[in-house]
Amino acid sequence: MSVNSLKFGLAAALAMLSATIASAQEALSPDEMAALCHGGGSICVSATIPVTRTTQAVQSWMSPDVGAAWAAGYKGQGVTITMVDDFSSTSRFSGNFGLGVQTQRHGEWTREEASMIAPSATIRSKDFSTGTYVPLASGRNVLNLSYGMYTTAGYSVNQIGWAPEEASIIYYATRGSAVVSKAAGNDAVAVGGVTGGQQDYLDLALIGKPTAIFVGALSSNGTTTNKAQLAWYSDYAGSNALVQSHFLVVGVEGDKTGLYGTSFAAPIISGYAAIIGSKFTSATPVQITNDLLNTARTDTLVNYNPAVYGKGEASLSRALAPVAIH
Amino acid sequence: MRERSNIGAGFCAAALLSCAFLFASTAMAQEWTTSLVDIHQGSPLSDKARDLGNGGYELQSGSWVSFSRWYHASWVDMHVDLLTQITPDTGILWGFGTGEQAEKYRIEPSLKLGFLTQIHPNPNSTLSLSVTSTIGGNLTEKPCQADYGDLGTYSVNCRLAAGEMAPEETLKYLVNAKPETMRLWLNYRLTF
Repeated sequence: MSVNSLKFGLAAALAMLSATIASAQEALSPDEMAALCHGGGSICVSATIPVTRTTQAVQSWMSPDVGAAWAAGYKGQGVTITMVDDFSSTSRFSGNFGLGVQTQRHGEWTREEASMIAPSATIRSKDFSTGTYVPLASGRNVLNLSYGMYTTAGYSVNQIGWAPEEASIIYYATRGSAVVSKAAGNDAVAVGGVTGGQQDYLDLALIGKPTAIFVGALSSNGTTTNKAQLAWYSDYAGSNALVQSHFLVVGVEGDKTGLYGTSFAAPIISGYAAIIGSKFTSATPVQITNDLLNTARTDTLVNYNPAVYGKGEASLSRALAPVAIH
Repeated sequence: MRERSNIGAGFCAAALLSCAFLFASTAMAQEWTTSLVDIHQGSPLSDKARDLGNGGYELQSGSWVSFSRWYHASWVDMHVDLLTQITPDTGILWGFGTGEQAEKYRIEPSLKLGFLTQIHPNPNSTLSLSVTSTIGGNLTEKPCQADYGDLGTYSVNCRLAAGEMAPEETLKYLVNAKPETMRLWLNYRLTF
């Protein structure tokens, strides 16, 4: 069974909203005393530290964690994110990530989002229509998959004749040579579940792979006082323990961007993985993956249930923090 | 009326010591008296160390780590300054600081040595000069050991361990500061 022609971007770009975007945060001067508290006080530092001056702004749709992560000026450098997506079709839609209303292809949107989360990461674009092998860059790698491979339900994964593109991605996730951030899907079913008589076989092929992360969407960024719930469209973890242990959720605040879908959840995790990789320069993709999974929060979610939220809401600040210090 | 001008400058400590002993040797025959000039607790470095204790962060578990537990000293650096008068117009200034320490920093004990001399340009005025040198008293911040689980254990700057900076990079921002090592005072007093 070939699924080469059955790629669907997992976005739902709704009508453009007059977005109330961008609480721009000016970067600090290099010698400024940084006494910063972000994320409800989740990180505060008191020190004179160098901060890269940049025009990059923390956007209102981002988790407060992102601003905290940027505070020291490290934003994903040394890590390559490869966006496997649509960069060639004629399909475009409008949205606003805080940079003004734009009309772009699906891949251009996801690429922009990842680059805003981890602005110092190297971003590569791989058009998924070619089906060709996905090369890795030297150093640490993250692959962003904001698409699925759908065909008629009922096949086993090993019956699928993968193109070199997906075969290479599955290989990397199996070998642990790249973090693979996979959008969970927008059919409000369990990961890999049947919808309209079809299944996402790329989901199924990545289940149980050490560096695969399935990413679902919350309707907002959660806090302990304002808990978030799964977006109405998002696929959920389901009863498979292998999925639950590799399933994360993040806020996709489409009311601010006009962009909905787990397509815009996966790049957030890709960006987080890049930032972690820029802090822990000798970390392996498996270690980065486990760090994200093990530090996810459950206290920011409405009625946390692993069958819905998997490991919970990704927390960049906790992923960067020590387990213990003395 | 009283006018005062102060000038701070750096001099060689050896030269200062030589001057002090020169005065001492010329006045050996006289009776020396020693007076307490000043006693106080705290210093700019004590304040700096205390400022390091502001803030904190969450560990992976969400438990809060406050910096104050690492930077709170039970004893604050005490400085005692004394003046030993050698002649009616000269004296040796000397003293010491006890230092202080907390779990993650230390201010070394310090010694102060210098001299004071004065002249009377006219019966109503006094011009005095003092030079002091401080040895020791450095503030040194200590690193922490941070356990990042699977990602390893690193020696880090305690205050920056949860930030985005690479663990080894944080060590560059450990505080190492010296106290003011030389001080020159020039004082002119006019009485009318």
